[in-house]
Amino acid sequence: MAEVKAKKKSEVVRVLRQLSKNKLAVLGGIIFFIEVIVAILAPVIAPYDHTAMDLMNINAGPSAAHWFGCDDLGRDIFSRIIIGSRYSITIGICAIAIATVIGCAIGAVAGYYGGWVDNIIMRILDVIQAIPGMLLMIVAAAMLGPGFLNTIMAMSIGTIPGMARMLRAQMLKERGNEYIEAETSINCSTFRIILSHLLPNCMSPIIVQATMGVGQTITLAAGLSFLGLGVQPPAPEWGAMLSNARAFMRTAPHLVIFPGLAIAVTVLALNLLGDGLRDALDPKLKN
Amino acid sequence: MGKYILKRLLWMIPIVLGVSILVFTMMTFCPGDPAQIILGATATEADLAAKREELGLTQPFLIRLGNYLSQVFLRGDLGQSWSSKVNIMSQIMDRLPRTLILSLVTLAISFGLGIPLGIMAATHQNRWQDSVSMVFALLGVAIPNFWLALMLILFFAVNLGWLPAMGIDNGLASYILPALSGCMGTLATCARQTRSSMLDVIRADYITTARSKGVHEKDVIWKHALKNALIPIITMLGSAFGRLLGGMIIIETIFAIPGMGNLIIGAVNNRDYPVVQGGTIFLAIAFSICMLLVDLLYAAVDPRIKAQYASSKKVRVKKEANANG
Repeated sequence: MAEVKAKKKSEVVRVLRQLSKNKLAVLGGIIFFIEVIVAILAPVIAPYDHTAMDLMNINAGPSAAHWFGCDDLGRDIFSRIIIGSRYSITIGICAIAIATVIGCAIGAVAGYYGGWVDNIIMRILDVIQAIPGMLLMIVAAAMLGPGFLNTIMAMSIGTIPGMARMLRAQMLKERGNEYIEAETSINCSTFRIILSHLLPNCMSPIIVQATMGVGQTITLAAGLSFLGLGVQPPAPEWGAMLSNARAFMRTAPHLVIFPGLAIAVTVLALNLLGDGLRDALDPKLKN
Repeated sequence: MGKYILKRLLWMIPIVLGVSILVFTMMTFCPGDPAQIILGATATEADLAAKREELGLTQPFLIRLGNYLSQVFLRGDLGQSWSSKVNIMSQIMDRLPRTLILSLVTLAISFGLGIPLGIMAATHQNRWQDSVSMVFALLGVAIPNFWLALMLILFFAVNLGWLPAMGIDNGLASYILPALSGCMGTLATCARQTRSSMLDVIRADYITTARSKGVHEKDVIWKHALKNALIPIITMLGSAFGRLLGGMIIIETIFAIPGMGNLIIGAVNNRDYPVVQGGTIFLAIAFSICMLLVDLLYAAVDPRIKAQYASSKKVRVKKEANANG
């Protein structure tokens, strides 16, 4: 048992060591780490109260006092973006976590059992995936209603099919291996085979997909809020801020520039990290 | 080949049926009373009850679902919009071409620029051309399309005044900014995919052979290498089209283009369920047809796959293996 643990640890160390050689991935990791810390400590870091209105500074441009300027109600945009990171990052991470757990469960069942179980699950996924992703999320958001938690749910509904399909494909590849046959022959329980033997061997692409998925989800959730179907103003979610800023775009362009930059930087960081993880986890894929 | 296409077209029937059931069910569980939204806050309880009766909302769920499916699939009728009373099919026929053309043009730009960019990066690996195109690709994936749309409006429409900021009254010029903002993500993904699959192919023995035979370098890249590198790029094409169709919903809203996206978002906000259902069904059909075309494109590019179409089971296995790397 101790040997197995040591082996697992060494695998993690190997991946981390490999990852640390990739400068861009490290940069992405550091940026995202800082963002998470900022999101956790947001109320402490934000220079102003994000709801405080300053009527003297309505639509004021960037200055020493207000780094990113102020919005249409005179609220400090920098503070709002910092508080907003809590919404965006939480939505991204939670939606992907939920989608990964549910998607993996579905994919594992389909991939392990095969036959009619697989057939039924895959045909249901075919139907769901026939609807373009963003449209599915919009319909899901309409069904659930607007709001923070419902946005997370809508995002995960849209992500589950992709995750399930990916894990199933991995399972199919892995299932034919001799060690699975060996475990079946010593009467290992199905649950145990899937959970402690098959899943860990299928995780690499899922980890990469999940890392990239957090970034994509942040963008999609911002899009949903932008359309007025996600997180609602006055909450400073980045998409909701952009949606609100659109009306003042011509007179105060800084209102639209900064929330968008925040989204782009976060997604970029996660993509860099995801790329690095893919290379580190699967040396075959590395060019 | 013909048999395969027919089989795939027939398979679309249960898919569309499934999509209809799924969307109908989801819309039924939407919060909010459509009668209240149509009649406004001042409506009396009697009016509301009459409206609900008229819309058929008082019937049990399964009966409504059955009625809807028989109406759509047996009579080919998507019904009327609850809010505007207009026939939904005619509304969709009016708007679907705009969305499809915009998506296809966007797709063409993305692949038309993305593939050469990826090839350039691969043939100049680790040189400045590679770095520039990959930085561009990274940014293209990271920048949200709706934010890019706003930035482009700010720059080209507000500051420079070169292009219209919204509407479709200016002919082709009206579609330039929407297509540009829509294509960036796909272009970037395509460039990256092309680069990595070209790099895989370029080191193969047959490329060395072609070079040693004295084939011109241009022909080596564009004829010998690209043809084999295209398969993973085509795999991407289908999902890229799906993302574009979805992405167009936001782009259309920003640029006030009267397409499917605008129709669906308006209907979602008005709780106009039949329109949302009809719109989603049609976009799903468009997406499924595109996926079929992608599969046929495989056969056109790769004779090995064409040979396999005789037994479609093998194709599916291979496709899934391709799609999942």
